[in-house]
Amino acid sequence: MEDAIREIFNGVWKERKGTKPPVLEADSLLLETGLDSLDFAIVVARLEERVGFDPFSIADDAYYPQTFGDFVAFYKKYSSM
Amino acid sequence: MRPFLSQLENRRPDLPLLVTERGILKLSDLKPGPNKIMAQSGDVVSARVALSLHAPEALLAALAYLDGRAEAMLHISPTLPPKLVTGLVTAAGCNYLISDRDDLSGAAPLETLASLSLRPALRETEWIMTTSGTTGQPKMVRHCLSSLARTVTPMADLASRPVWGLTYEPTRFAGMQVLLQACLGEGVLVAPKLGSDIGAILNFFADHNCSHISATPTLWRRFLMHPNVARLALSQITLGGEIVGQALLNALVAQFPTARITHVYASTEAGVGFSVHDRREGFPESIVANPPKGVGIAIREGRLWLRPESTASEYLGEQRLPRASDGFIDTGDRVTWRDNRYIFLGRDTGTINIGGVKVNPEEIERVIATLDGVAMVSVTAKSSSLVGAMVTAQIVSSGPVVDESAFLARVFAYCRANLAREAVPATIRLVDRLVTNSAGKIQRN
Repeated sequence: MEDAIREIFNGVWKERKGTKPPVLEADSLLLETGLDSLDFAIVVARLEERVGFDPFSIADDAYYPQTFGDFVAFYKKYSSM
Repeated sequence: MRPFLSQLENRRPDLPLLVTERGILKLSDLKPGPNKIMAQSGDVVSARVALSLHAPEALLAALAYLDGRAEAMLHISPTLPPKLVTGLVTAAGCNYLISDRDDLSGAAPLETLASLSLRPALRETEWIMTTSGTTGQPKMVRHCLSSLARTVTPMADLASRPVWGLTYEPTRFAGMQVLLQACLGEGVLVAPKLGSDIGAILNFFADHNCSHISATPTLWRRFLMHPNVARLALSQITLGGEIVGQALLNALVAQFPTARITHVYASTEAGVGFSVHDRREGFPESIVANPPKGVGIAIREGRLWLRPESTASEYLGEQRLPRASDGFIDTGDRVTWRDNRYIFLGRDTGTINIGGVKVNPEEIERVIATLDGVAMVSVTAKSSSLVGAMVTAQIVSSGPVVDESAFLARVFAYCRANLAREAVPATIRLVDRLVTNSAGKIQRN
């Protein structure tokens, strides 16, 4: 799951920025990676095509992950359900 | 209604009025210009003044001087391309363009106002606001201070002095509402540098003790995605410009349990609308039955219709607001009745609202269809929990595609080169055929 997320993040980065994507650490703040919320919405939409679900739309309560680690954990939580 | 400056003079002069990265401004800091001018006598000039200003302090000084003296003020976003600025200035019949931009030929600096020697005008000054959009010339809607300031809550009705964080460009309808509420409601306006990163904006708000913030749902989600949001102590949260969903309201309640949460329905076209405070999405029947003073609300043909005060707003020039004979205006926003509430469904016109930026699917289709190798294209909205909605596209190629990912990469690159950022599809799928309806039209849903 984490590999799929990294791959799609890197793809969106290259497409939108045209430069080499940064290496994400678990504590990297999502909105300080250089991608904004529209870019992350694209990451979420493409991940849905890849992994078959969008945890943001199936979660009962709204959840807004702050770090890359939060983001990965959120996907892992729903992939095991 | 008394002019802007005269209303500002109700404020205690020692109170801060505006905080920017350049410092704190009091009412007395605004005055030298206007006062000096009032003392002068000279030619009477009839002025229609276009304003395209980055600095909020310059905008405040211009409002203070021009309201009640100029025939009209035209508010233009400081980020609008020069060609479009020229078009607006001409269409609104402006004879002055005041700007702190360096890319506008024919623009004069703010100080020029001091030489105009304007006398008090006989009629209320027009405040011409411009609508946002990603393509073409913005539309202009005529307001005046009394129509824009109608929702300002007087300080006397508030528990403490509001410190408003500005997240919108003040030249836009939503930003002007915040500016007027802060200035005329005896509050303070905190204006971070627009375009700063989220962490810096949140710090700026926290450092200056913002108690009130108005922002789009998309920006609220971005705030919630940043740890600095924990530094904010808010008593008022206002959302507008996009559909507000229950999930976001719940998340805001969790982060700010004691704040009053208001979602506002307003459009530049209709002037003001109404607001909802019960922390639930949509709006109750009681608002339709008992609308705010001066506003009429009706649900017709599954859409929301509003009736502004007769003089409140009007499109300028050839454009006319589509208005029914009883004065109601079709907002084009579709609603449905669910769980004893009216819930917003989206735009009747198919317009897709991406984080507050509206894009038109037909225009995107038109652009993509001009690319070599594309036979047919269908653009639809896809809901997004982060930005409200996004654009997706399905494409039928005009010939066999050997390398699908190379083909799609070419389409994406073409979209990025020819479309606004928000209009570039988030996902594009290559399909064998598009589903068409009985009339042979591409099915959108």
